[in-house]
Amino acid sequence: MLKVGNMKKISVKELYELKRKELSLTLITHPKTMQGEITTSFLNRPGLALAGYMDRFDYNRIQILGETEISYLQSLSEEVLYSNLKEVLVYDIPAIIISKGLSVPKQIEFLANELMIPIFLSRLSTDKLFNSLRIFLQSIFADSKTIHGTLVDVFGVGILLTGKSGIGKSECALELVERGQRLITDDVVKITSKEDTLIGSATNDYGHYMEVRGIGLIDVAKMFGIQAVRMSKRIDVQIELMPWKDNMDYERIGLSNNFVDVLGINIPIIYLPISPGKNVAVIIEVVAMNHISKLFGYDAAKEYTRKLQIDLKRKSSIREKKLDEPE
Amino acid sequence: MNPNNELEYEDMIRKTIKIINKLGMHARPATMIVKAATKYRSEFKIVKSDMEINGKSIMGVMTLAAEYGSELELIADGVDEEHLIKEISEMFANKFGEE
Repeated sequence: MLKVGNMKKISVKELYELKRKELSLTLITHPKTMQGEITTSFLNRPGLALAGYMDRFDYNRIQILGETEISYLQSLSEEVLYSNLKEVLVYDIPAIIISKGLSVPKQIEFLANELMIPIFLSRLSTDKLFNSLRIFLQSIFADSKTIHGTLVDVFGVGILLTGKSGIGKSECALELVERGQRLITDDVVKITSKEDTLIGSATNDYGHYMEVRGIGLIDVAKMFGIQAVRMSKRIDVQIELMPWKDNMDYERIGLSNNFVDVLGINIPIIYLPISPGKNVAVIIEVVAMNHISKLFGYDAAKEYTRKLQIDLKRKSSIREKKLDEPE
Repeated sequence: MNPNNELEYEDMIRKTIKIINKLGMHARPATMIVKAATKYRSEFKIVKSDMEINGKSIMGVMTLAAEYGSELELIADGVDEEHLIKEISEMFANKFGEE
């Protein structure tokens, strides 16, 4: 997997090596034909192109030929087949995959070898091939970045703890783990966007290690058991831990929500002041429970202010009545 | 160095260095870097290909798994950024006292 600037790509060879088993691929053209690169996660079924309509032909995508395309090709006379195929294969197509292990007209193989376009046979059904390939390519082309933070799963809510070095992210995660919550990764979080959610995981597969100042490295899974860790988690809320400042404007009621943009996706962020003697782990559990509660449609801040408004209205109407009454 | 000159620390310093000690960035050099970096007030980041980590965190630095011959970009931002970059890049140049 290469990343040149913002352009991501994967070579056809890499795709073949990584996915030949899962997609049950066999290369039917010469190995030399595997020379191109895939630059998009989209796939194309070139039905119209094979019929001669070349406008808007997405040749830079992997082309999938299913039963429809193959049976159409088989229905053509040899000369028409040859000229139609040539028209399509002169384009710089990264790869062609034929589903269901269908047998292909000899001309395709011949032309593809000539024009250096790799053709693979897959035993999967077109639908299954399409889905598996799309999921794989999307994971390759997904936006991702690494950030400094700690990711924990608190009651099923993915909480990303951020803040300056030494603020106590790891210690906080440790306390959460001790309370039965789960650690995904400490210190370095790899964030990948998947449709409209963010998925966080570790950047390597070493395991769930953590640095505790003054002690050194510990293995969380070994120490607290396998239930204390998980591999990846959707990120629901970010909590920025910050030292307490007297003049800082902290959220007091919770009616206004702050959001932060991560890879183009907005997630709620809470600026949490911490001071000595404050139990941050409990507060983080409260954040998680409050988040779940809001998902279920109950917002404590809104509910309280609604009750307050009703009370104010009632009281002022009593007051008005009193004023109306003649003394 | 004039600490009152704001322009001096408005922009960050970036420096690309190469790992020239044979063992790569294992635990001991990683600790050396983190210990040196935490003495400074500036923010310190290290970038390796598409990974950017906090240079003041030991897990972060070790996560890079930077092998012999690989290139890293050091980024420092703050009042004492120049001194930080100088000390850290000297460590790399001295092969962390190895060999």
